[in-house]
Amino acid sequence: MKRINLLAAALCLLLTVGLLVGSLLPGQASAADGAAPEKTIVMGTSPDYPPYENVDAAGSGDYVGLDIDIARHIADRLGYKLEISALDFNGLIAALQSHRVDFVMSAMSATEERRKSVDFSDYYYFARNTIVSKKENGFASLDELKGKRIGVQLGSTQEAVASGMKDVEIKKLNKISDLIQEIKTNRIDAAIIEDAVAMGYTDANPDLNFTMLEADSSSDGYAIAFPKGSPLTAQFNEALKEMKADGTLQKLVDKWFPEDREAKSKEGGGGFRLNFAKMEKYIGYLLRGVYVTLLFTLVSALFGFIWGGILSLFKLSRFVVLRGFATVYTSIFRGTPLLLQLMMIYYAVPQLFGYNIPALLAAGLAFGLNSAAYLSETIRGGILAVDKGQREASLALGIPYKTMMISIILPQAVKNILPALVNECVALVKESSLVSVIGVADLMRRASVVQADSFLAFEPLLIAGAIYYVLVLVLTSLARLLERRLRRSD
Amino acid sequence: MTDKKNEPAIIVENLTKSYGKLEVLKGISTTVVKGEVVALIGPSGSGKSTFLRCLNMLEVPTSGKIVIDGTDLTDRRTDITRVRQRIGMVFQHFHLFPHMTVIDNLTFAPVKVKGMSKEEARAKGMLLLERVGLKDKADVYPARLSGGQKQRVAIARSLAMDPDIMLFDEPTSALDPEMVKEVLAVIRDLASTGMTMLIVTHEMKFAREAASTIYFLDGGRLLERSEPASFFAKPQTERAAKFLEQVL
Repeated sequence: MKRINLLAAALCLLLTVGLLVGSLLPGQASAADGAAPEKTIVMGTSPDYPPYENVDAAGSGDYVGLDIDIARHIADRLGYKLEISALDFNGLIAALQSHRVDFVMSAMSATEERRKSVDFSDYYYFARNTIVSKKENGFASLDELKGKRIGVQLGSTQEAVASGMKDVEIKKLNKISDLIQEIKTNRIDAAIIEDAVAMGYTDANPDLNFTMLEADSSSDGYAIAFPKGSPLTAQFNEALKEMKADGTLQKLVDKWFPEDREAKSKEGGGGFRLNFAKMEKYIGYLLRGVYVTLLFTLVSALFGFIWGGILSLFKLSRFVVLRGFATVYTSIFRGTPLLLQLMMIYYAVPQLFGYNIPALLAAGLAFGLNSAAYLSETIRGGILAVDKGQREASLALGIPYKTMMISIILPQAVKNILPALVNECVALVKESSLVSVIGVADLMRRASVVQADSFLAFEPLLIAGAIYYVLVLVLTSLARLLERRLRRSD
Repeated sequence: MTDKKNEPAIIVENLTKSYGKLEVLKGISTTVVKGEVVALIGPSGSGKSTFLRCLNMLEVPTSGKIVIDGTDLTDRRTDITRVRQRIGMVFQHFHLFPHMTVIDNLTFAPVKVKGMSKEEARAKGMLLLERVGLKDKADVYPARLSGGQKQRVAIARSLAMDPDIMLFDEPTSALDPEMVKEVLAVIRDLASTGMTMLIVTHEMKFAREAASTIYFLDGGRLLERSEPASFFAKPQTERAAKFLEQVL
């Protein structure tokens, strides 16, 4: 009975901490708050595609860009309050279909393929494609790319262009910044990227340049996506028409795309150079990710330790059911990828329990549950390594089981396994970067936001790496202090 | 004290203990009266330690009955934790809590289990440490103590719970010879206070001087139970005679 109480207490603790964490992070659970008091519409977007949408990481941290501005104007005209939900580009259609968002604006081309799953508004912008390459290569047309290795963004219209070409080796990547990095390291010869984006990157990377391609009238323009049959589609089209008529749309386009864009192929030195001067203004934004990463590590380590401790007691219990449960649990959580567990919890919980679990809580839960599986084995080993006589001496003094475990056995076990516990914590700090797949703005996620915002592929990663290293260094120093304290009885 | 004499403290009826097919105790029956000091002797493997460990249920008997102060230990409904609080035990290897100072070793159980206040427990602990001659070691960790000192602390730790009965499981076997004396002196001192004690020991001289009764065990049976003087002068069984011949 006592053990079950302990378990319940631990779960309560976790839930409290988790909810607390969830409430600290605005915007994660917005779509689920249901029963909207005023008319709120939620826009889904992948804010890593300036100048259409990105995070103003150097300044306010708000979402900015052409799509954001257009959306705000339309929402204003229609009398809605706009909320923005940041998602991965590949998850946008799914978010529409599951009604997590009301509409999507993310420089999304209204392709035939997509029209099968969602409705689109009228086009609001047509982009032109460019070939981006190292300056010394300077491809003038698609024909010159024959026999070369070219890169495109997965799921983009450029992917369709590239797949229509012959004699080329195509590499598809998730992010534009990855494509840029591939060019700089000579893994691909060129990438097909749309004009506004190419401009930003070639500005920031003097060793690259781009060539405009002829406008392709047959290609699809960018449009706003809605769930099938949404009443919003007609309302948005009406608003777009008005904005086109009164020149608002053109004004917004001009704001984000300066006039002299074609003249922008410019001079500059080649070679591999790092540009950290440009990073300075992003440091604040990146450091705020440290808080998320640390909070997340703390929650999952604490939960993992408590739950792992309970599981290890199950494994040492004389009750077959508890032993069996703990063994099966460990084998499942150790036997499947952490990323998969994270996705399962994030996507399955809303469907099973109708609770739209905040991303950080889902991540803390997934990592805690996973970590507990490993720690339960470590702790079990630590407990078994404590001299059997300690247990007998406690029993002989009439000390109850729980008191014995908490005050006599575990302190000695923890002392023995401290190095392993520190390893687990360090691993958690670094594995925490996985949470960026579900949109938590941790350090790693912020690094890729800065990549997009600054058009620099390498520097944000180096800075994030340095911050991780310092975090781990601090953590290990703290652990050393703790160890010294525990060893004073030797 | 005298009025309590002959009142039974421990009644053991037909106690057996087996590990699988190996029968370690083959039916032991005896009664220990209050204030009695029993020395259990016998060759190794005779079952004397197992017998002792059954008395506070560190080993669960296979069959038979143990009644202490009217409470049947083998009854499933008995709260064994409460019974153990009245029975102190001292181990061959001390088993002090290494992560606690000496005084914390003494006060932990009284505070956590009996709900004694910390101040009271500490005052009592200091008195006990004085009694075993280790008052100045109160705030050091066990790792700093010699074997003899550790064992004296272990005895004080048991006494801190105010037990009615003390069990000693080869308390001097792990000690260097020069430390045996200091520990035996503490146990002898305790015996003179009228505490009911059972001591598994190989120290024949000590058994003869300090015990009121000698139990001789062999092969899982209690072969002899007599006063030290008569046992050492003229053992009744051939097995005991042979054993004494070897150890004396």
